[in-house]
Amino acid sequence: MNVKVVVGVVVVVVGIVIGAVNFLESNVEYMDFATAERTNKRAQVKGVWVQEQPTSFDAENVKFTFYMRDDSDRTVKVVLDGAKPNNFEIAESIVAKGRFVDGEFHATEILTKCPSKYDGDAEAVKKSL
Amino acid sequence: MLLGQVGALVIKLAFLAALAAAFCYYQVHRTGSTRWLPFSRGGYHLATLSLMTSSALFLYLILTHQFQYTYIWNYSSTDLPLSLLLSTFYAGQEGSFMLWALFTSLIGVFLMQYSTENDYEPQVMSVYSLILGFLLLMLVVKNPFTFIWETFPNDLIQTGPVPAGITNYFMLDTAKNIWARYPVEGKGLNPLLQNYWMVIHPPILFIGFSAMAVPYAHAVAGLMKRDYNSWIRVATPWSVFGAMVLGTGIILGGYWAYETLGWGGFWGWDPVENSSLVPWLLCVASIHTTLTQRKSGAFVKTNFVLSILTFVTVLYSTFLTRSGVLGDTSVHSFVDPGMWVYWLLLACIALFGTIGFGLLFFRVKEMPKVPVEHSFVSREFALFLGAFALSFMALFVIIGTSSPIITTILKGKASAVEIMYYVRTNLPLGIVVTLLSGLGQLLWWHHSKAGSLLKSLMWPTILSVLLTGLILLMGWEEIEILLFMFCSAFSLFANLQVGYGIYRGNPKFVGGSIAHIGIAVMCLGFITSERYDDKATVTLEKNKPVPALGYTLTYTGYRPLERDRFAFDIEVVRGNLKKKVAPSMHFSEQSTLRHPDLINFLSKDFYVSPVSIEQAAGPKEETLILQKGEERPIGGFNVKFREFDFNAFERGAMLEGRSFVINVNLDILEGKRKSALILTMTNSGEGPVFTPASYTAANGSVYEFNLVRILPDREDRLKSRVELSVKMPEEPSAPKRDETLVVEASIKPMINLVWVGTVTFIVGFALTILRRAEEAKVHAKKWRQE
Repeated sequence: MNVKVVVGVVVVVVGIVIGAVNFLESNVEYMDFATAERTNKRAQVKGVWVQEQPTSFDAENVKFTFYMRDDSDRTVKVVLDGAKPNNFEIAESIVAKGRFVDGEFHATEILTKCPSKYDGDAEAVKKSL
Repeated sequence: MLLGQVGALVIKLAFLAALAAAFCYYQVHRTGSTRWLPFSRGGYHLATLSLMTSSALFLYLILTHQFQYTYIWNYSSTDLPLSLLLSTFYAGQEGSFMLWALFTSLIGVFLMQYSTENDYEPQVMSVYSLILGFLLLMLVVKNPFTFIWETFPNDLIQTGPVPAGITNYFMLDTAKNIWARYPVEGKGLNPLLQNYWMVIHPPILFIGFSAMAVPYAHAVAGLMKRDYNSWIRVATPWSVFGAMVLGTGIILGGYWAYETLGWGGFWGWDPVENSSLVPWLLCVASIHTTLTQRKSGAFVKTNFVLSILTFVTVLYSTFLTRSGVLGDTSVHSFVDPGMWVYWLLLACIALFGTIGFGLLFFRVKEMPKVPVEHSFVSREFALFLGAFALSFMALFVIIGTSSPIITTILKGKASAVEIMYYVRTNLPLGIVVTLLSGLGQLLWWHHSKAGSLLKSLMWPTILSVLLTGLILLMGWEEIEILLFMFCSAFSLFANLQVGYGIYRGNPKFVGGSIAHIGIAVMCLGFITSERYDDKATVTLEKNKPVPALGYTLTYTGYRPLERDRFAFDIEVVRGNLKKKVAPSMHFSEQSTLRHPDLINFLSKDFYVSPVSIEQAAGPKEETLILQKGEERPIGGFNVKFREFDFNAFERGAMLEGRSFVINVNLDILEGKRKSALILTMTNSGEGPVFTPASYTAANGSVYEFNLVRILPDREDRLKSRVELSVKMPEEPSAPKRDETLVVEASIKPMINLVWVGTVTFIVGFALTILRRAEEAKVHAKKWRQE
């Protein structure tokens, strides 16, 4: 009986440790561009798309390039592995996940946070009167 | 009285009736007298009828486009076809809660009959009515019949006489002349949701969610009645039903993501997907542990815990995806429903968690203690380990999904885990579960003798080694995937062997084996299609064949589909085979949605998802947005937007609705040279027509300027802007390109296994329901005779 309990406890503890380690490892921290560049870690950066700067898509290599200004007001060139994300133009903020390579932020994933189209707002009501 | 007010009132009535039913049923249980029984049943039926009435009203308002209701304005529009119009019923929070409540109440009608036969009515139905009551409370708080002027009072409510010509208004107060305008068109359904999956997938999920309340009600009823064993027999058909429906819903959701949303795979570990996976895993675990209790009487407490947890995780998942706590950490956008729903959902979790676990805590001392008598080589132990592994999976998934909450508490900033987390934690457990789902079937109850076990292990092991080897011919894999592959194959063959044996004995008992076979086949499909897929990004210039992945692709041009959707026709050729795929893109006002297309072969899918469309690349074009007085560099010179030329005569023409002209005056500054350029917009009522102008630079290159649009600023005219396009001079060195489509093509080997497995697993579950329902009936008869 005691052996069973010990084995059981060991299995549970190992499971929890594996879970916790993976949890912490795969939780990419939020930071601004400056911190991400300094620490050279994989990071999530929140910011907005800088419309005035050129935005381009390289069809050959499937890279989408744009400029993004983070919350600390620093603008950085972002290169995304992939095409332009859905709802990119209407996003009120975007979150880029990736790391710095030679002064550019290489993103593997971009989340777009959309404001209103489907949330209902007074402007839209007035338009549909 | 307006229909919506009736609807809201009827919901309140349903809520009160459900609470009354819960109370009266509880009285029946407490006093043991049947005096309260008619009130209980009447209350429950009243709640169901009221909810059906309000749902019918809601549906009527949707079908007749009553945009004076916020919900209907928000999710529907007049251009939707009937099926999609129906689906707007549950496109938003209020409506989906209503659908959930409706299914719960309807299932309850059958449950009432069923539990009467099994002598469980007062207890099961009191708990179940309380659950229904809480779902209805959600609707009382978040009323689906809210009027649009209640949502936007400042914008819509007006005082004074109604101007002539306005018909879309509603008089709020005739004496004081207070009235409200309402929209004549709705905002429409999110284009991502506009397909038939939206019509079938959510209802199936909600039936599954509703069904998960039944085992919970039985567990609590068992505790109330101090009946720690036979509740299982009564509850099992419902658990299996719930697991079957929810499982089907989960896979359909996966297929939706794969086929239309273009996620590239069927599972993205998204919070919305995870939130239905967790209760499913726990429910399946409980189905297995109850088997042991039937056999040996062990796992009494475990079965209570798992059945209670199944429902509590349904509530918790709802909390995660509905309360806005996940914020902006997922691709799904989670609407913030306001504090009320947040706290109400939390209260629900606390209440039903406390009822279940609290009662368990008080009863645990008097529960029969069954000494563990089985050996390690027994079916009991395999079932225990399997259920344990499934519960651990559920735990890991729920922790991962809750990551934004956990990180907010730990670090003060919400962040989600990456997909890698789910794979790393679930893969080892998946290996264990698939292995046990085969091994457990070969083991005997209580204890297996080594000789007979080895004999039965022989064929499944040999065959799964062969199958694994066969798959490995396609390429080597890392050790964990290899093990997963082997264990899935082992489960398949072991269950085929056992299932065949059972089928020859009693075909009715074969459900379990078939369900396992289905899951094993599905797992094999996951591995081959996800790990052995071949991907390539292909750039397809119009009418130029390009070889990719062993096929030859030719983009032949695009054609418009309904609304703003365009299909891109691609010819796929390989030897004699000639097929067409047409992935499409939806260019809505502000964004692009991409829909893949695929060719389904027996042994694989050829999957094509669009990435982007590039216009014919002649000379390069750049766009400029300029405010009045602003100056910007382009090419080798600067462009300055001097002013609009929009004189009084033209303005008058515009006001009278005649054709008018606006000139945009630009200055080009190149070195010391300054020249003026005028771009013209003529508006003749059929949309604007732009007249371009060109500029020849000092080096002789020609730049063509055109007006794209005028962006007026209504508050400050000086801030109005213009958008220009500038066609750059042709560079002789630059390659000329026709219209070009970029796609991502992939081959998903043996993906049909996933769908075959799904169907098999549904059949297995259905057979099990029949078997367990029959068993419960026999049990009920026995009870009546006693």
